[in-house]
Amino acid sequence: MKMKRALLAVGIIALVLIVLLVSLQEYYVAIALAVGIFIIGRRELWHLIRKRRLPPFDERVRQNMVKSARNGFIFFAVASALLMLFVTINLNYIANLKAVHVMSGLFLAGGLVYLLSYIFYDRVEPKLREGELRRLKTFLQVAAIATGAGVSSFILHNIVSGLVGVEEPVFFLIGVLLAPAAMGVGLVGSLVFFIKGLSRKQLPEIDQPDDERIQA
Amino acid sequence: MKTRIREYRAKYNLTQEKLAELVGVRRETILFLEQGKYNPSLRLAHNVAKALHAAIDELFIFDD
Repeated sequence: MKMKRALLAVGIIALVLIVLLVSLQEYYVAIALAVGIFIIGRRELWHLIRKRRLPPFDERVRQNMVKSARNGFIFFAVASALLMLFVTINLNYIANLKAVHVMSGLFLAGGLVYLLSYIFYDRVEPKLREGELRRLKTFLQVAAIATGAGVSSFILHNIVSGLVGVEEPVFFLIGVLLAPAAMGVGLVGSLVFFIKGLSRKQLPEIDQPDDERIQA
Repeated sequence: MKTRIREYRAKYNLTQEKLAELVGVRRETILFLEQGKYNPSLRLAHNVAKALHAAIDELFIFDD
């Protein structure tokens, strides 16, 4: 049910964006977006036309969606970081825009951690204890949520400031202080567990149940 | 990993689509399972085995 709602939300957002892009006369981008959405959802669309209902979202589809979302995040993080770096260099705001540098670094680090998690997660997972694995997932989630919160805060800060005409403080503080701090904590924490998992040859014996050790 | 899903499907005269409906997955998932390109969860393996009236180790054969 969640997947169906998510798919519906993506469809509606894409439709609104396409209308917006057409109204801005950005036809090529609108066409590219429409084609992209059609390619991603072609199976669901075909099933909907043929059987008048969405196909089941089984475990294989869910796994693929998670991988796609992770790839999308990596692309977003790397693209944003590059964009921020270029803006900084071209406009020569190095002295004034320190927050941009911090965010760029964090975005790059975030991209790196997610790239590592995508490539090495299968190797790290069996070598971490249950508790360590849970903490690694929590750190990765904190980093991802902080990234989203940071970007949203910057956008909301600009919108509110633009509408009210006064410098908005709440979203500014979230975007400049809280989100980067949380992202930093999440990234450093996940890196620590990743390195721990990669450097460990096998799971420590303490994880075996007591009965088995006694029998052995 | 090799599977005998195709063999059992033929035995019960089931199409990939019909089996997918019985198990509650997509037809492509059955196709990937038959080709041994997808490692199913224990639950999915159980559901497929139940739909084909077979044991899990009869359907999924591991080389080692």
